[in-house]
Amino acid sequence: MAIVKMKKMTMIALQSEKEALIKGMQKFGGLQVIDLEDQVGRDGFERLEQDQDSEAAGKIENKLSQVKYTLDFIKRYDRTKKPLFAAKLQVSEDQYPEYLNDHLRAESVYESCRAIDGKFTEFKSVETKLHNLMAQLSPWLSLDICLADVRQSKSTNAIMGFISTKYLEEFQSAVAAENMELHIQEASSGKESTYLLIIYHLDREEKVSQLMKQFGWTKVAWNEMSGTPKANYQRIQAELAEIESKKKELVRQAEALAQHRDFLEALYDILTIERDKCTVVRNFGKTEKTFLVTGWVPEKMAEELAKAMGAITEKHVISFADPEADEDFPVLLDNPAVVKPLEMITEQYSLPSPKGLDPNLVMTPFFIMFFGMMVSDAGYGIIIALITAFALYKFKPGGGMKKMLGLLCLGGISTFLWGVLFGGWFGGLITIPAVWFDPLKNPLFMLMFCLALGVVQLYTGMALQAYKSIRSGRLLDAVFDQGFWYLLLTGLMMMAVPAVAAPGKYMAIAGTAGLILTQGRSEKNIIKKLVSGVLSLYNVTAFLGDVLSYSRLFALGLATGVIGTVINAMASMLGGSFFGYILMVVFMVLGHTFNIAINVLGAYVHSSRLQYVEFFGKFFEGDGKPFEPFRVNTKYIE
Amino acid sequence: MNEMNLVELMNSNIGLYLAFLGSAIAVGLAGIGSAIGVGIVGQAAAGVVTEDPSKFGRTLLLQALPGTQGIYGLLIGFLIWSKIGVFGTIANVSLQQGLMLLSVGIPIGLVGFISAIYQGKAAAAGCAIIAKRPEELAKGMVYAAMVETYAVLSLLASFLMLNGITL
Repeated sequence: MAIVKMKKMTMIALQSEKEALIKGMQKFGGLQVIDLEDQVGRDGFERLEQDQDSEAAGKIENKLSQVKYTLDFIKRYDRTKKPLFAAKLQVSEDQYPEYLNDHLRAESVYESCRAIDGKFTEFKSVETKLHNLMAQLSPWLSLDICLADVRQSKSTNAIMGFISTKYLEEFQSAVAAENMELHIQEASSGKESTYLLIIYHLDREEKVSQLMKQFGWTKVAWNEMSGTPKANYQRIQAELAEIESKKKELVRQAEALAQHRDFLEALYDILTIERDKCTVVRNFGKTEKTFLVTGWVPEKMAEELAKAMGAITEKHVISFADPEADEDFPVLLDNPAVVKPLEMITEQYSLPSPKGLDPNLVMTPFFIMFFGMMVSDAGYGIIIALITAFALYKFKPGGGMKKMLGLLCLGGISTFLWGVLFGGWFGGLITIPAVWFDPLKNPLFMLMFCLALGVVQLYTGMALQAYKSIRSGRLLDAVFDQGFWYLLLTGLMMMAVPAVAAPGKYMAIAGTAGLILTQGRSEKNIIKKLVSGVLSLYNVTAFLGDVLSYSRLFALGLATGVIGTVINAMASMLGGSFFGYILMVVFMVLGHTFNIAINVLGAYVHSSRLQYVEFFGKFFEGDGKPFEPFRVNTKYIE
Repeated sequence: MNEMNLVELMNSNIGLYLAFLGSAIAVGLAGIGSAIGVGIVGQAAAGVVTEDPSKFGRTLLLQALPGTQGIYGLLIGFLIWSKIGVFGTIANVSLQQGLMLLSVGIPIGLVGFISAIYQGKAAAAGCAIIAKRPEELAKGMVYAAMVETYAVLSLLASFLMLNGITL
C-alpha cells in the first residue's frame, strides 16, 4: 500500500534559458506543474507576473486544429486496414524539425481536403434539389405535353395542379352541372391527390377560379422548364448519375490522400508536444529576466530532476520541500506488478486521498478470492486464464486494457483453484471429486464459510482504520472505535459456539460497556454522552447486514454450477444420432461460453461491490487527485 | 368431503402438481421480470448508441445485468424438477411436500420479478452515465448491482428451503 510521497519543487531560472529547461522538464516527465495564476501578484509573489506567450501558443493551436481536421477527414476515407494492436510509428527527436518544417505538405493536404469536402457539400445540395424536382415531376410522367406550352393563350388558359382525390367526383359533377366547357385531363391519381391538367376559356375565368377555391385546388408551376415531364425526368436522372460519378472521383481523390496519414499522425503528435511546451508556461510566474516554476515530483525522482536541470544550465536555483500538513498533493500509486491490475478497481471508485491509505495491496487477495468463488469452475478458470494470458502476451496492450486483462487472468487462476477445491468442472461434464467439499451437498457449511470470509474482510477494514488512527498518534481512538467493537462482535460470535460461550459473554459485556462509555465522547453534556454511547450499539445490525451481504459468494457460485449442469443436461438430450452429436457439441460450446460471460460479469460487478460498500466503508478516504506530470504525450508515435 | 376422501387425497400424488406450480412461479415470474428489465435497458442503450456507436459494448454490459434474475429462476426451477424426478423416475410427493415445494418457488419468483424491473431502471440510468462520462461505467454497474443483492438473497432463501425438503 503505497501512495507515493511527493516533494514540492520550486525553481527559479533565467528567461533566456526557459525553452531549454521546459524541454528538459518535458523529457523528464515526472513533474506536475502547479498553476501559479491565483498566487501571482499576491501573498509573497507581489513582484511576479503571469508568464505566457499567447501568440506562439495560438499559432500552434491553429496548426494543430488544421492537422486534426485533415486527419479526421483522411481517416474517413482510408481503406487500408490497420491491425487492432498496431505498433506505433518510430520517430526520433532529430526528425521533428523535418516534420515541422514541411509546411507545404501539411498545408497542401489540408487545402485538398477542404476542397474535396467543399465539393461534397455542394454536390449534396444540388442532389437534394434534383431529388425534390423529380418527386414533383413524377405524377406528371404520363402527360405528353411540353411544359412551356402550359400557359395562357389568346382566349384560353391551361393550368396544372392537384386536388384531393376524395373530392374528385364531386368536382367533376360540379363541372358538368355548371356547363363550364372545361377540358380536364387526368395525369395520375394517388390515394391522397389527383393531378389534373385543365384548359378553359378565358370567359369563364371567374367561375373556374371560384370552383377551384371551393375544391381546394393547388396550382403547380414550372420555372422556365420546357419539354415533356418525361424528358425532364430523364434529364435529371442523367444529371444525378453524373454527380454520382463525380462523387466517386472525389472519393478516389480522398482515398489517395491516405498516403499522407503517417506523416500527419506524426505531425499531430509533434505539434501536441510543442503546444504543451507553450501552454505549460502559463503556470509560471515571471519577472523581467527570470521565471519561477513550482510543481510536485515523486520523492524518489527529486534528485534526478535536479540533476536533469543541472545538466542543462548552472544558472538556476532549485529546492524541494515536504508538503505542509494541510496541503493536498496529487496521488500516484506504486504497487507490485500483481497488485497493479487491482488499482483499476479502486480508481473506478475514487483515488485514495493523499492523507488516506492505498487499499490495493490488502484488497487484492480478497478481490481475487471472491471473484474465483463466484465463478468456481476449474474448467472455466483454465479457459479464462489462458485466453487473457495469451492476449497479454501476444498483443501487449497498455493502460486500462492491460489492467483489465491482468485482473481477469488472476481471477481465472483463482477460479481454477476454487473449482478444484469444490469439484466443479464445466458444470459437472467431467467428474472429478472435490478436493475439499461440494457446496451443493453441504450448503450450510458453504454459507458459514462465506460469512466467515466476510467477517475476516470486515475486521481487516476496521484494522486499517485503527492503523490510520495510530499512525496519526491517536492511539485511544483506535482502542475506543475499533478495539471495543472487536471485543463486542467477537464476543457475540463466540456466544453462538457452546464451547466458548461463557468467555464470549463476558467479552461482549466488556465491549458493550466500553462502547457506551466512549462512543459519545465528542458530546459535551454527560447525558448526551451516554445517549450517543447507547445508540452506537445499533451499529451491530449494520455489521450483521454487511456480513450477510457476503452470502452472495455462495449464491453466485451456486448459479454458475447449476447453469452449467442445465446446459449439459439440455445438450445431452440432443445426442443420439450423428447430427445430434454435432448439435450437442455446438450447443455445449455456445452454452458454456454464455455461462462464462454472464458469470464473469457478475463476479466482477459483485466482487467490486463487496469492496466498495462493505470493505471501503470501514476505512477508505477517497477524492484524491491523480498525478498528471508534464510529459511527452503522444498518440501515434514513439 | 368426508374423512376417507381427505386421506385418499393426502396419499395421492397431488403434491406433484403443487411442485410444478412452484417451479413455474420461479421460472415464469423471474423470467418476466428479466425480460422487462433487459428491455428497459435496451431502449435507453439504443439512444446512447445513436449518438456514439462505439459505446455498444459498454451498454451491453449494463443490459446484461437485469438478465440474471431469469437465470436464478430457471436455476431454482431446475433444482425442483430434479428433486421430483422430472428427468428420471417421478417421485412420490405428498400434499405437505408439494406445498413446501410451491413455497420454494415464491422468493426467487416474486423478488426476481420486481428486482429485475427496478434493476433495469437503475441500469437504464447508468446508460446516461455512459453517454456523458463513459469512464465512470463501473459506478453505473454498481448502482444496478445494489438492486441485485435482493435477488441473490432470495435465490439463497429458495435454495436453502429446497435443500431442507426431503422426499
